[in-house]
Amino acid sequence: MSALDAHPPARRWFFRPRRRAVKAHQRPSLLVMICLFWLALVVFTAIFAGWLAPFGYTEQSLMNRLKPPAFLGGPAENLLGTDGLGRDVLSRLFFALRTSILVALLGTVIGAVTGTVLGILAAHFRGWVDDIVMVLVDFQASVPFLIVALAVLAFFGNSFVLFVCIVGLFGWETYARLVRGLVLSVSGEGYAFAIRTLGVHPARIYLRHVLPNIAGVLVVQLTLNFPEIILLETSLSFLGLGIQPPGTSLGLALGEGRNYIATAWWIGLPAGMVIFLTTLSISLVGDWVRDALDPSLAQSE
Amino acid sequence: MSGPFLLRKFARCLLTLLLAVTFVFVVLRLSGDPVQRMLADDVPARVIESYRTMWGLDRPLPEQYLRYISRVVQGDFGVSFRDDRPVAAIIAERIPATLHLGLLALGITLLIGIPGGIVAALNRGRVVDRVVMGITILGHSLPNFLLGILLILYFSMTLRLLPSSGIGTWQHMVMPAITLGTSFAGTVARFTRSAMLEVLNQPYMRTARAKGLGRPARVWRHALPNAAIPIVTVIGLRLGALVGGATVVETVFGYPGIGSLLVNSVAQRDLAVVQGVVLLIAFTMVVTNLTIDLTYGWLDPRIATSGKGAKA
Repeated sequence: MSALDAHPPARRWFFRPRRRAVKAHQRPSLLVMICLFWLALVVFTAIFAGWLAPFGYTEQSLMNRLKPPAFLGGPAENLLGTDGLGRDVLSRLFFALRTSILVALLGTVIGAVTGTVLGILAAHFRGWVDDIVMVLVDFQASVPFLIVALAVLAFFGNSFVLFVCIVGLFGWETYARLVRGLVLSVSGEGYAFAIRTLGVHPARIYLRHVLPNIAGVLVVQLTLNFPEIILLETSLSFLGLGIQPPGTSLGLALGEGRNYIATAWWIGLPAGMVIFLTTLSISLVGDWVRDALDPSLAQSE
Repeated sequence: MSGPFLLRKFARCLLTLLLAVTFVFVVLRLSGDPVQRMLADDVPARVIESYRTMWGLDRPLPEQYLRYISRVVQGDFGVSFRDDRPVAAIIAERIPATLHLGLLALGITLLIGIPGGIVAALNRGRVVDRVVMGITILGHSLPNFLLGILLILYFSMTLRLLPSSGIGTWQHMVMPAITLGTSFAGTVARFTRSAMLEVLNQPYMRTARAKGLGRPARVWRHALPNAAIPIVTVIGLRLGALVGGATVVETVFGYPGIGSLLVNSVAQRDLAVVQGVVLLIAFTMVVTNLTIDLTYGWLDPRIATSGKGAKA
């Protein structure tokens, strides 16, 4: 895997504390501003879904089934129309957004923390701890995660907690590999050696000194990981194996809308577009963050 | 390629496979008693006991584990809970469809991704580069299930050109292959671009130019072969994502391959089929990555002579 090693020595710049601040030419472009605005809107909607939604997400109205959006001649109170049970598509979209963002956030935190801790443990203890972690990393990287997730869901059935844990396991191996490599090279730096000779406890060294120094890399990895986590959650829910009705998520909304795609496209497509725009925005903002953190990368990558 | 290097590679592959089998076994046992799940609640205890004996569930765990491994090695994955047919047969009849789709999609990925990345690298910083990179980000963010649905909406519903689901004619392959293929073309293009950029800055590229070689010769004879290893590695790693993507794409297009078999089996909790498919995919991935490791020596003769270059 050396050809792909995420951290060739050339990237040592990350460990130089407090590098030059973000330069003027790295101010967000208009495109990035739009993306940031969209992400803010998404987060706002997710938090305040309960207040923003005109209807409850399970509120049915069988007289009002499959009504088209208001701008296509549907009833005025259902801006995006209604689904096969007469539920308001817009309200359901808000709640779906809330679920998807919540699952993705929890999943990201679980994955990042697990991976970082394992990476630090591997780098600190070396020896057999390191071997075990790296074998697990190799294993996780060798079997497609969606397949593992499907298998676990098949064996244990589905529940929200299990689902969040599965989503959380996605990507831990990238963090682990990254952090292990970073910690190994940081330990060789003068400042880490200096602190160690002062007799500081290793846990304190990692938390107070090493972690802040590798935070930049972790943030970049987060922006790379987050869209993929959203895609994992929505894919599983789309297949009907993630979030279960009566709950809703962006993937499930699109999956449910798929059955009506010929007659009532407005049930599924808005959720699909929200997934697309959100992952796109995170990717673009992520690129910008990466460039801002490291101008030299902007040229080589 | 040196002996110890090969040996280490093989050992790692065997270890990964053993881990996969162990993972499936542990999860299978942790998830509860398959007999009780399969039979109704009012089945007499005597019948349950006879099933347990028949499936060897009354033996000690280590013995079950060893028997499980020996059965898997012989290609015996048990019997589907749904229709009592051997899992191996159910899986085998689905393999050709998925192979066709996967190879077609891989072809599309490479045909778009590699030229796209090369063109972007050669025009670095110009409009072409920005356009190609923009498209890769779009492609990366567009979920394959959404792309599939949009294609169905346009080509099947509106234009009535292509069938929305099923298998049989070449028309059935068009949309699934495009959906699956384009979803990874972007990643391949990005990595091709960065691998090419790295190579293009090397001193030997300047030498090639200084001795009067034309641009096509420099790109094809000097740059691309040297950029090949990272590109091939990435393609190998992304194959797993391609397999994962196939489960979604096959489901969207009602395409009867391994992926839709897995999704259906998970939905019906047909555990025997699920473990069979998971092991098959793990095996395929491990063999593929081993093959890719072995091609390094052919791609880059320096590795073959030193045996150190591609140390994992």
